[in-house]
Amino acid sequence: MADKPNVILTLPSRPENVLVVRQALTGLAEGLALDAVDTNDLNTAVTEACNNVVLHAYAGRDGGGAPAQADGGGGERDGEPLEVEVTALEREISVVVRDRGVGMRPSERLEEDEEQRGMGLAVIAALTSQVEFADVPGGGTEVRMRFARARPGRPLEADAPAAGSANGAAILAPLRGSVQLQLAPGSLARAVLPRVLCALAARAYFTVDRISDVQLIAAAIAENAPGSLDGTHLAVAVNVAPRNLDLRIGPLHAGRGQSVLSAAADGLAPVIERLTDVRRVAPLGAGESLELALVDRR
Amino acid sequence: MPSTAVKPVSTQKDSPDLFVRWQRHGDEAARETLLRQYTPLARGLARRYGRSSEPFEDLMQVATLGLLKALDRYDAARGHAFASFAVPTILGEMRRYFRDSGWAVHVPRGAQERALKVRDAQERLANQQGRAPTVHQLAEYLEVDIEDVVDALQAIQAYETLSLDAPRPRADGEVVAYGDTVGEDDERYELVELDATIAAVLGHIAPRERAILRMRFVEDLTQTQIAERVGISQMQVSRLLRRSLEQLRAMTSAADA
Repeated sequence: MADKPNVILTLPSRPENVLVVRQALTGLAEGLALDAVDTNDLNTAVTEACNNVVLHAYAGRDGGGAPAQADGGGGERDGEPLEVEVTALEREISVVVRDRGVGMRPSERLEEDEEQRGMGLAVIAALTSQVEFADVPGGGTEVRMRFARARPGRPLEADAPAAGSANGAAILAPLRGSVQLQLAPGSLARAVLPRVLCALAARAYFTVDRISDVQLIAAAIAENAPGSLDGTHLAVAVNVAPRNLDLRIGPLHAGRGQSVLSAAADGLAPVIERLTDVRRVAPLGAGESLELALVDRR
Repeated sequence: MPSTAVKPVSTQKDSPDLFVRWQRHGDEAARETLLRQYTPLARGLARRYGRSSEPFEDLMQVATLGLLKALDRYDAARGHAFASFAVPTILGEMRRYFRDSGWAVHVPRGAQERALKVRDAQERLANQQGRAPTVHQLAEYLEVDIEDVVDALQAIQAYETLSLDAPRPRADGEVVAYGDTVGEDDERYELVELDATIAAVLGHIAPRERAILRMRFVEDLTQTQIAERVGISQMQVSRLLRRSLEQLRAMTSAADA
């Protein structure tokens, strides 16, 4: 795949994170104006692939299927990623779901129809136009799915990346236990980021008042992204704890984090300034990151 | 999504002679046995595929129709397990149903109704406990999934057509229309202090929206408090805030250009 996927998610392999993937897909489907049946196919098949990872990919390590920790706190499973990449093409959507665990052995693929995993795979096969499985170097499996679109899509409305931007190689350093997103800027980021942050704020036991603030902040970030990127994608890492949501946005061009916060930035400053509890610019790689903390004090 | 986490659908072995008895000899009892045996498969698929569809019984009927077709058409001689043939047949039936019923182009009725239920539950819980509820509280109160509530919160933002704009009774029972409470301009309007660029374009924002912006960003009221004061729902406050900010953003970026 020559082009970088439009959406890249890296999440701890835990059941509750499948909801985050689904919200990202629903946002993506809205951004692409997919019809409801295509959206449902996409969501259903990708859910099955993610459930396979969450329930089975790391099963050898701790007995598998660890119960969800609603507080999103630590735990050894945080080092075990569920990775999802989505690329929207004119006539199809391509989705890769990847694990770094034991993966699925070939004998278990598509033949074991009466077991739950076989059932999930049969569902994936029925809803995709093409599906293939590949081993990941170093261990793991990726499921590559293609979905035909009922009607050809309009081209993605991607805002031009800022002049002098890097090639996106400088992604976030791994942040243990965090949910990480990389989104193509433009309509896609605007559609996906609010949904993902809303799902994570819900997990953090935010009240609907505060969740609505989170959506406004997400819209402000997505809107502001094109001019501030170091690379082609808007990168956001999120840590979730009860009543706390920490966001790290970046890498950004040096100096850009501060200007996002300052009043000069497109009239957005009040949203971020008034609705977040902590704002900080920190060095990250050659550039910097903007760190925001949100608390729900009730 | 934990609530629909996969469960074994059928651990029973296929029964080739049952298929022969039904397909070759029209043995209804054999079909009945097969139907019973594979109904959990159909139910599992209906749940997986139709989670946002209501009522579930309708979809279960469609899935059963797909199962009956699969029972008719399955060819045991080809050596595949029945389930591997039935899964695409049943899913195909459900997809066709969604396409034919207009589900693909209209906002599903179930989703709209749920959004309204979430909005009402939110107001009830906010009144009870004196602050806005969490998503978990709403899900528990309405006996739905977390995801259903998250979807509803998004839907309420998106559906301009939902009848959210009607005048609503305040907690004291008195019905107020917007104009009565927020129509007049506030001379001491302080939002301008926030940002010079914003000040230049604020005049283009409707008075009601300006008042809501002020309450949120200057007076630091919560959306629930604003809703109470203005006599609308929190959801609508949220929607109006978002819309005003989008307007401001569009105008300031036009002014910058």
